Amino acid sequence: MTAVVETEGLTKFYGKRRGLEDLDLEIRPGEVFGYLGPNGAGKTTTIRLLLDVIRPTRGRMSVLGAEPRDPAVRSRIGYLPGELALEGNEKARDYLAFLGGVRGGVSKDRISALAERLDADLSVPMGKLSKGNKQKVGLIQAFMHEPEFLILDEPTGGLDPLVQQEFLAMVREVRAGGRTVLMSSHVLAEVEDVADRVGIVRGGRLVAVEDVTALREKAVRRMELHFETPVPREAFEDLPGVRDLRVEGASVRCTIDGRPDALIKAAARFTVVHLVSAEPDLEEIFLTYYSENEEQEGRHARAGV
Amino acid sequence: MPALVSKSLRDYRRSLIRWTIGIGAFFTLYLSFYPNISENQEIYGPQALAKFPGAMRDLMGGMEDFTSGIGYLSSVVYQLFGPMLFIACAMILGNRAIAQPEESGTLELTVTLPVDRRRLVFERFVALVLGLLAVTVATFLLAWALSAVADMGVAFGRILAAHTGVFLLALLCGTLSLAVGAATGHKGLAMAVVGVVAVGGYIVETMGKNVDWISWLRWVSPFHYYLDGEPLYQGFPVGNYLVLAGATVVLLLTAILAFDRRDVGV
Repeated sequence: MTAVVETEGLTKFYGKRRGLEDLDLEIRPGEVFGYLGPNGAGKTTTIRLLLDVIRPTRGRMSVLGAEPRDPAVRSRIGYLPGELALEGNEKARDYLAFLGGVRGGVSKDRISALAERLDADLSVPMGKLSKGNKQKVGLIQAFMHEPEFLILDEPTGGLDPLVQQEFLAMVREVRAGGRTVLMSSHVLAEVEDVADRVGIVRGGRLVAVEDVTALREKAVRRMELHFETPVPREAFEDLPGVRDLRVEGASVRCTIDGRPDALIKAAARFTVVHLVSAEPDLEEIFLTYYSENEEQEGRHARAGV
Repeated sequence: MPALVSKSLRDYRRSLIRWTIGIGAFFTLYLSFYPNISENQEIYGPQALAKFPGAMRDLMGGMEDFTSGIGYLSSVVYQLFGPMLFIACAMILGNRAIAQPEESGTLELTVTLPVDRRRLVFERFVALVLGLLAVTVATFLLAWALSAVADMGVAFGRILAAHTGVFLLALLCGTLSLAVGAATGHKGLAMAVVGVVAVGGYIVETMGKNVDWISWLRWVSPFHYYLDGEPLYQGFPVGNYLVLAGATVVLLLTAILAFDRRDVGV
């Protein structure tokens, strides 16, 4: 299957300022790709290049097998801008009807269903919408024509937690339908629940692309087991991946590197009454990516002097 | 009608209504003075006007004749204020094509629609033409009706010729603001350029008649191709109007090519 997005050496300079440099990125059909990085790292630059809002300084890219310059390809894309501007006296419903019409037609029922799902009021003039409601209108317009490829720049900003959950459900449905999603965020927590892979940009460069499941396996997690009767420390010593072991009477506490398999099998010999596994903090893993990168750059800088 | 044209016209609707009312009020007010002026030849007659300094009379378009219907229309209504109101209206509509939505951020979604960039500029231009045409037609009918009521004795065709000239002049200025906006994305710059061209062009055209060292500049002033043919006296100056229309087309093509090759919203 051909990639939904394929870029090669994609570079964008704004005058002398680097927006993005030498991006080689592949997004596969049917995946949810989380695009992460701090503000100003190059996420929005990448997205705007893919949509032909801005033009690359050099490099090559294809989106859904076509050049972004080709307007026809844009009817197959749903886009939520990072800074969505909606204004004027026009009602959101009319604006959505206009956008739908240009993209080849979207039924009124479809728009109403999405509005109901996200609890958005479309009868209000757009200039009077709150930030959260603007974001809902933005999401509706991105999803409504059931595009093959959704590009969502910071989609959850301004949404309350309930609506965020609904939004994540919509993203999962898109993936279940075999369609593809690129969503950016500056915090991993926002995308880790739905993303299959994540790419991390920093300072205009892609520093890592990782599988979310693989990341979880790599992650350090704390575990706590409570048994019916006190357990011998020997039963848990020297298990692969187990560190910081503390056995106190009927409870065992430790940290796990990677898979907890050995620990679980060792524990299965006793009667387990309670098990606590703290979710691995992927955020921390990413921070280590960032800091490693920073150290490297620091070294280069020192070597340069 | 293409979706972007009808959408733009819907967005312009309130603004168009306000401009029609504003320009209509200007015509109504100024034409309501006419009976009083035509009855007081001794106050407003040629001898009275001759007292003004020559340069000032030039700047006001000669001020040779206030008291005849045609003289009043040409030197008071169609000389300076009428065209300038239309130019301001066209400039604002021209800015709403690209620069204003780009500065406010709403252009971002529009350029990601499956519409070619060149087509986007063209459809916004069509909306400018149609919007300005609506204001022109409404105010033309009003001007014609008022001149008939005031018994000014100016033929329908002559008012039509003058009004058409105002439309073409304003459309040129509106397309200039559209083009500057399409090329740069800056509304303020577009307004400054139109301001300089309109005001400077008017001064050059009127003063240039008697000041030799600027008279050559009249050829580049848009006002020259409207005022010089004296449409109220002579009827349609076809050649001059074609120059205005041709310059508009050149500006439109410039706008289309410039917008097609640049980054939006950076």
